[in-house]
Amino acid sequence: MSLKEELQAERVSHLDLSNYCQLPSSTLVRDVLATMRQKGSIVCLVIDNGRLAGIFTERDVLQKVVASSEALEQPVAAVMTANPVTVSPDQPAINALQSMDTHHFRNLPVVDKDGRISGTMTHHAIIEFLATRYPTEVLNRPPRPAQFPSKAEGG
Amino acid sequence: MTTANIPLQLTRKDFVSNQTVRWCPGCGDYSILAQIQKTLPDIGYAKEDIVFISGIGCSSRFPYYMDTYGIHSIHGRAPTLASGLAITNPNLSVWVVTGDGDGLSIGGNHFIHVMRRNVDLNVILFNNRIYGLTKGQYSPTSRTGRKTKSSPMGSIEQPINPISLALSSGATFVSRSLDAHTKHLGKTLAQAAAHKGTSFIEVYQNCVIFNPQEWGPLEDRRERDDHIIYLEHGKPLIFGKNRDKGIRLDGFKPEVVQLGDEYTEADLIIHDETSKQLAYTLSSIEYPDFPAFLGVLYQEEKPTYTDGLFAQIQTAQATKGMGDLNALYRSADLWTVEEQEVVASDVKGTVALGMDDAYMDDLDKPEAVTTAVQDQLTQDTLASLTPRVPIEVDASTSLVKAIRQLNAHNIGCLLVTDKNDILQGIFTERDVLMRVAGLVDDLAAAKVGDYMTADPITVSADLPIAQALHLMSIHGFRHLPLVDEDNRPEGVVSFRDVVHHLTESLA
Repeated sequence: MSLKEELQAERVSHLDLSNYCQLPSSTLVRDVLATMRQKGSIVCLVIDNGRLAGIFTERDVLQKVVASSEALEQPVAAVMTANPVTVSPDQPAINALQSMDTHHFRNLPVVDKDGRISGTMTHHAIIEFLATRYPTEVLNRPPRPAQFPSKAEGG
Repeated sequence: MTTANIPLQLTRKDFVSNQTVRWCPGCGDYSILAQIQKTLPDIGYAKEDIVFISGIGCSSRFPYYMDTYGIHSIHGRAPTLASGLAITNPNLSVWVVTGDGDGLSIGGNHFIHVMRRNVDLNVILFNNRIYGLTKGQYSPTSRTGRKTKSSPMGSIEQPINPISLALSSGATFVSRSLDAHTKHLGKTLAQAAAHKGTSFIEVYQNCVIFNPQEWGPLEDRRERDDHIIYLEHGKPLIFGKNRDKGIRLDGFKPEVVQLGDEYTEADLIIHDETSKQLAYTLSSIEYPDFPAFLGVLYQEEKPTYTDGLFAQIQTAQATKGMGDLNALYRSADLWTVEEQEVVASDVKGTVALGMDDAYMDDLDKPEAVTTAVQDQLTQDTLASLTPRVPIEVDASTSLVKAIRQLNAHNIGCLLVTDKNDILQGIFTERDVLMRVAGLVDDLAAAKVGDYMTADPITVSADLPIAQALHLMSIHGFRHLPLVDEDNRPEGVVSFRDVVHHLTESLA
């Protein structure tokens, strides 16, 4: 079974989608940054009336915020990417991945047909899937590759 | 606690020792080690207040690999040393690392007593249901009928259920997790650390050499959720990838039911981690007859052994004054041992040194069949990803220029090199969020050398793809610099490249 087939069988909702924070669109960019730093999030899902209004990513920080001191005091709505492409949690993981590749996205918000947000799809979710799907090959490797033993039992 | 008053943000790195980690490649211990190193920075203890104590066995090599205080102690006796230490210095965070052999065979008795005393310490028992270090004999947790080197016709013994044993010994925190379930393991370790009193964590661990099939689908990311019940206080026992199965009680007997017309959520057991009766009932269900439960099965707040002991010492000193140890020693009978004649041994002959044919055959058996993805992970090298040419800057480059470079090339990272093209650091879009945006006022004056990650972990082009994935999953890296033997950059591998390669090349 190739990885492509495995990701065809795996649903988006079953991946680790937790690498995000969620804030109202009126939040100041300065406070969004603080929350992202504190939670270690790579993306902020911006909410308006309980619905996803946009996303604010590390890329937005790089392109719109870091070089502009005024941006910090604006609401995040002013610098977010509005109406982002989303993926439904019951889609196969491969569809989400292909959508990200086509659009050159680093994040894809996961939202169901009723507007419920279940997280954000990232390449890291696939890495995490691979690490735990193939723990023997990936997760449980000696930390120093040069010291990989010649025999299975460690010799 | 004196040292905890100084806020010092530790990281995973602070707990990695300089020792070469020696377990079999693929051993579940690696994953457990990584999760412990990841969790410890957040448990609220200074590094010098954390101690790891082990006995004998594969898992017992742990103290060498942790950059904390540690004792590699006597077979099965880690709980005794840990109890003594934790009582003497209640400000320490004491961790016992043991296995099903060390903790339940030779150390079985100590296990019971450490569980009942409630000294403030943590016991992690790596359960792989086999003796690994001695190469594959059955252990106290091996299933009845299990064929091993020492039970060629199948074990005729009833296995110990470690969770039931811990509960009935009086443990005040009983939990279970799984080596390859990194998120769950990290969370459970943190919960155990927060518990005051003895915390017990059984970790289902995969012995990839001598018992690789033991946990079957639990170790398979795609299937595991059909075989695991995640215990959450106050929530019904629902499980399954589609959350369509549950556990109900039929009289006293737990049974798996399909949710639907006949049974609904209301019929299921609601988890109550304060109920010892429920804990006893649930502890009796074990994989593979039932799905395995993971999480906190039982916890209660009780005075610790140390609290009780110090209260008694205080009372004794208040009524009888301070004691005198020297006087106590000399108060009893004293005698002298005289020198004795040496008695000659009457043992003759040599021990036979024949090789066990069956054992040799077993070593020669063909290796397990691997899938195309597994082959690709371990055999394709990073060179096959055709790594991108890195964009390089020197450390004195201003942040303005560095950020312009990231934007202009639409890339996520820059490599920082010196005048001889030797790699000094890496500067990524993550660093911009974490250290620069809204924190640095004058980007023209700030130098990238002060905001980069210095001496980053690197890889070489001849390493397998699995190595890059390993580093990305353990450290959360998105980019890995590829360097030659002189530490000169040759390329950059991003997580996107790896995922792309794996999904496209075998399409």
